[in-house]
Amino acid sequence: MNRIPVQEVRRSLQIRILRHNPHDPASKPCLQTFELEEAESMTLFIALNEIRQTMDPSLQFDFVCRAGICGSCGMIINGRPGLACRTLTRNLPECITLAPLPGFELIGDLSVNTGKWMRGMSERLETWVHQRDLDRADIDQLEERMEPDLAERIYELERCIECGCCIAACGTARMREDFVGAVGLNQIMRFRLDPRDERSDADFYALVGDESGVFGCMTLLGCEDYCPKDLPLAAQIAFLRRRMVATGA
Amino acid sequence: MPKTLSALSARMDLLQSLSGLLLVLFIWAHMFFESSILLGEDAMYAVSRMFEGEPLFGKPYPLLVSAAGIAVFLLVAVHAVLALRKFPGSSRQYQLLNRHLGVIRHEDTTLWYVQVITGFCLFFLIPAHLYTVITQPENIGPYASADRVWSERFWIVYALLLLTVHVHAAIGVYRLVMKWYAPTGVQAGRTRARLKRGMWCILAFFILLGTASLLTYMRIGYQHADSAGERYRPASAPVGAR
Amino acid sequence: MEIIYTDVLVIGGGLAGQRAAIGAKRRGHETIVLSLVPAKRSHSAAAQGGMQASLGNCLGASGDNEDIHFADTVRGSDWGADQHVVRMFTHTAPKAIRELAAWGVPWNRVQRGEHEITVDGQKRTIAESDAAHGLITSRNFGGTGKWRACYVSDGTGHAMLYTMSNQAIAAGIPVHERMEALALIHDGGRCCGAIVRNLQSGKLLAYVARATCIATGGYGRIYRVSTNAVINEGMGAAIALETGIASLGNMEAIQFHPTAIVPAGILVTEGCRGDGGLLLDAAGHRFMPDYEPQKMELASRDVVSRRMEEHIAAGHGVQGRFGEHLWLDIRLLGKAHIERNLREVKEICHYFLGIDPVRDLIPVRPAQHYSMGGIRTDHRGQSPQLRGLFAAGESACWDIHGFNRLGGNSVAETVVAGMIVGDSIADFCDSPEGELQVSTALVEEFGQRERQRLAGIGSGNGGESAFELTRLMQDTMTGNVGIFRHGDRLREAVDTLQELQCRAANITLRSSAPGANPELVAAYRLQRMLKLAQCTAYGALQRTESRGAHYRADYPRRNDGEWLRRTLATWPAPEATLPSLDYEALDIMTMELPPGWRGYGDKDHIAHPDTERRKHQISAALAPLGDSADRYTRQQALMPFEHLLPPHLRRRNQRLGDES
Ligand SMILES: Cc1cc2nc3c(=O)[nH]c(=O)nc-3n(C[C@H](O)[C@H](O)[C@H](O)COP(=O)(O)OP(=O)(O)OC[C@H]3O[C@@H](n4cnc5c(N)ncnc54)[C@H](O)[C@@H]3O)c2cc1C
Ligand code: HEM
Ligand code: HEM
Ligand code: SF4
Ligand code: F3S
Ligand code: FES
Repeated sequence: MNRIPVQEVRRSLQIRILRHNPHDPASKPCLQTFELEEAESMTLFIALNEIRQTMDPSLQFDFVCRAGICGSCGMIINGRPGLACRTLTRNLPECITLAPLPGFELIGDLSVNTGKWMRGMSERLETWVHQRDLDRADIDQLEERMEPDLAERIYELERCIECGCCIAACGTARMREDFVGAVGLNQIMRFRLDPRDERSDADFYALVGDESGVFGCMTLLGCEDYCPKDLPLAAQIAFLRRRMVATGA
Repeated sequence: MPKTLSALSARMDLLQSLSGLLLVLFIWAHMFFESSILLGEDAMYAVSRMFEGEPLFGKPYPLLVSAAGIAVFLLVAVHAVLALRKFPGSSRQYQLLNRHLGVIRHEDTTLWYVQVITGFCLFFLIPAHLYTVITQPENIGPYASADRVWSERFWIVYALLLLTVHVHAAIGVYRLVMKWYAPTGVQAGRTRARLKRGMWCILAFFILLGTASLLTYMRIGYQHADSAGERYRPASAPVGAR
Repeated sequence: MEIIYTDVLVIGGGLAGQRAAIGAKRRGHETIVLSLVPAKRSHSAAAQGGMQASLGNCLGASGDNEDIHFADTVRGSDWGADQHVVRMFTHTAPKAIRELAAWGVPWNRVQRGEHEITVDGQKRTIAESDAAHGLITSRNFGGTGKWRACYVSDGTGHAMLYTMSNQAIAAGIPVHERMEALALIHDGGRCCGAIVRNLQSGKLLAYVARATCIATGGYGRIYRVSTNAVINEGMGAAIALETGIASLGNMEAIQFHPTAIVPAGILVTEGCRGDGGLLLDAAGHRFMPDYEPQKMELASRDVVSRRMEEHIAAGHGVQGRFGEHLWLDIRLLGKAHIERNLREVKEICHYFLGIDPVRDLIPVRPAQHYSMGGIRTDHRGQSPQLRGLFAAGESACWDIHGFNRLGGNSVAETVVAGMIVGDSIADFCDSPEGELQVSTALVEEFGQRERQRLAGIGSGNGGESAFELTRLMQDTMTGNVGIFRHGDRLREAVDTLQELQCRAANITLRSSAPGANPELVAAYRLQRMLKLAQCTAYGALQRTESRGAHYRADYPRRNDGEWLRRTLATWPAPEATLPSLDYEALDIMTMELPPGWRGYGDKDHIAHPDTERRKHQISAALAPLGDSADRYTRQQALMPFEHLLPPHLRRRNQRLGDES
């Protein structure tokens, strides 16, 4: 009945972390290696906390939910972006290299300011339901009806946790700082799908109809492959591209 | 009201893909015609005459080939200019990109990068080829071509061109599909894997086909090297026609 | 020191904080939100299962209304709740959900036609009506009479928080992220803002505000095994406590959720059981019906958790590598259902356990989950002791949960409280009371105090480690102040915590890294968390009865005679090692629903003499109305509450079949 894989041998892990504290003028980026005995069901969340508690209390990283749902702990794990809290060390080789997500302002060590970036993106793409008189919606009456299927399709796109992995995985975002990335384009699609949002395709074109928006995407598909929530990003971007070409051209 | 963006971005994106698609279709068709040599000199001869308009006008007009060459050249130019926008624009960008590629080792990003590199090569190789096509349209035929390939050492250009253009084209088509019609739904991953397998198959097919015909041209050219410059006369050709 | 002035300062960017901010901002007051983390990463995002609101749309919910929701909540609370506030809450919950629906939450909807559901281990087919098609649907949850938990797959909190945050962004409300409130600025009777530490640079700054609202969530991290986020350390409640003036209510009321995965302690939603999942023991036997024949797996959380621990203690637990546990079985729900409605659960099982719940059993055991207690407020959300201080959400003891919260009532509370408290904050700012004259000297004084405190931690050389002491505190709480409590163990916990408090004064920092310095953060939070832990342990020790989630093995009966009272903890002297406890009686004579049996759990309790009197009074009040009187009239006769609500929230809620 119990199918949880059992691991018998205890490994000794070597965790190499790209360290840098921009608040310290003396600090220079460098890799620091920590050795750690692997424990049963150890995640990078557990490993990093153990390092901080027993080896280097100045180590900076971000965890909030430690359950893979809040999007705080995106980092580069052996070259690939991913959520550290739900990465089990047993699925990694003995030598693990951790680096902060590129594309975001570095706060220190593995901690980056994804929050600021995402807020900027939200403000720029106006990622909220646009409806006249929304603040006077009648909340005493029955709610507006919605097709059950449509609600589920909206949720499918709403599942994004703004972790930033798609930005870190995207070569376009590496090269152009103003690119809104898959996360932004997906959110546009989410609101485009939502009948409560009254914006037209022309309005959306004004938000993403250029090289920093949907036409900047070069279909590198890193976003699709590394999104920890498995959002259908490639299909969404493709669809948006078609809509935007139909609107703009 | 949000700021309004120009329609230019949309048009350029569409045009980039369309030009790429047309070029792909062209080069695939081109491969079939040009490998007619595999069916023998006569077949190749017939095909070259056909493109000079003989079946239509009763006599060959090589200028038609020049015209086609110019048209294709323009298409390539349009495509290249649009695609060049996607090249890393500065050394900083180039460095960032290189570091990214090295660290992430992501297949599709690498495929795109291969396109950039092959595109860069094509930028030199295509004009070299099209220059001969446009300036010497009459020098296309079983012997003329073979002589060029062998005696004029054009096989080096063609070998490179063959490899780069097909790699560029096959990846390009796969990426076109993902760009405009990426699969969705539970089967999305599987469909994409299939597309990619299709891409490798197409690539293999055209490389094999092209290599075979290139070798054939080389063989003919080698055998014909002593009388290079002489034109092919099909057994059935009316006297007087070349 | 840098001082930032604003009308309203909201500390906390979760659902409660942002909704309150939106309310205040709409009324024209400049509002700033502070948060430890980007607002969308607040722990509200972790709520999976659902939000309770008596919409009554789907078949399982038909006939639902505020009255039933009210009764469920009061029973759930084991009569610890403030019934006026529960009425305000149940009345506003449908409005909250409809507002969120208008703002963009993709609530799951009723699909007309036949559906297969799983009830009591059996598949059954039900048919939804055409009339309900497309309205918001709901699922079954523990301790409720109707299917009332409205949901968005199992990412309810996520969808709600994103919608809320996006609306706050639309309203132009600045969220100052990675900012931690360290102390409230006050002059003894009036709160005027907070001293705040920037968690990136380590700098201190002051926010001066006419009204301050704390919405910092729960304090589950005083326990070792908790479903809470690692930032749920209760700093909001702690800084209110440290004023020495504001009081915390019912801190001993801690909820343990039945189904946290072993060993990570990550929650799998109550929706698993609501949708038909079962609890099994080592022998594969479904044991809940043996204990709770009526509600079985869906009794309220305190009861199910207790039964599970009881069953493990009786030797029926599964021996796992991480100690004993039980099984949660959702295989019978089928692949399609799991992949649609329980996909986060599937993800969690996949990543943290390496199993697929479509085929495998999930190892679970109860874990700390929710803090019923918090900053005591009146029905408007204001601290009765400190003017200008408001609280909302899990950090508050507004008191709809009493001694046990029903699943789905919490996110509902955050939004409803946000709506109501946002309005009372605005009222407060508009009133003469809202005028604020604060001297910079006062602000500097508080700033100076915090600066010294931090420097004191930095310079201590007693050799204690903050991380080590935190672990000891958490072990003590999980070991001694858990599901089953006992006087001796509680005494021990209180002693240990006192000792830890002394040791915490001797912390030595190994790192003096500029910037945030995570070790320093751990150290100063520990000092505050210890106080919260002490309020919990000490409150639990004093409460010699069992009520809701607070279960004393040595006093197993609920004792209304002595303990129908709310614990109020204050911490008047900073150097003290114990809180001072006070009690606030709950007046049965004003209750709409006098104490009785909950309908599940233990039947015997020690009644209060007022209970019978109130029952008679109620029959007498209802008798003249006759049977023809509608439910509104009857309710009105027992316990009027509408006048407590802001005027725009007073209207009745329309339901399917009502005239509009
Ligand atoms: C795993 C899990 C699942 C749950 N599922 C459900 C469910 O299905 N249904 C339900 O009704 N309830 C559920 N709950 C409970 C519910 O999610 C919470 O009670 C509720 O979301 C709390 O919201 P909040 O706004 O009060 O606080 P939170 O969302 O916790 O927000 C607290 C905010 O305060 C900030 N903060 C904290 N301290 C400070 C400080 N010192 N200075 C500045 N900012 C600070 C934080 O950054 C954060 O923004 C669940 C809880 C958990 C743990
Ligand atoms: C001078 C010659 C060429 C250059 C410099 C060039 C360059 C490029 C580059 C850089 C891209 C990637 C653009 C992007 O990802 O947005 C690209 C895409 C593409 N190329 Fe070329 N290319 C050339 C010739 C060709 C030829 C001859 C073909 C056809 C055989 C072709 C077919 C394509 C296709 C189908 C794409 C994908 C189009 C898209 O992504 O929109 N290219 N090319
Ligand atoms: C109208 C324009 C074109 C004409 C008429 C033309 C014609 C020919 C002919 C006749 C040959 C055989 C060799 C020779 O005669 O030199 C050839 C070879 C080749 N051409 Fe073109 N070509 C054209 C455009 C292009 C373009 C645009 C490309 C690439 C993008 C291309 C790629 C190649 C390659 C790769 C070969 C070598 C084939 C092999 O290896 O078998 N051609 N072409
Ligand atoms: S789209 Fe995916 S990868 Fe990008 S931010 Fe959202 S969840 Fe993360
Ligand atoms: S990786 Fe980047 S380029 Fe487009 S497809 Fe994804 S956004
Ligand atoms: S800590 Fe929340 S996703 Fe990892």
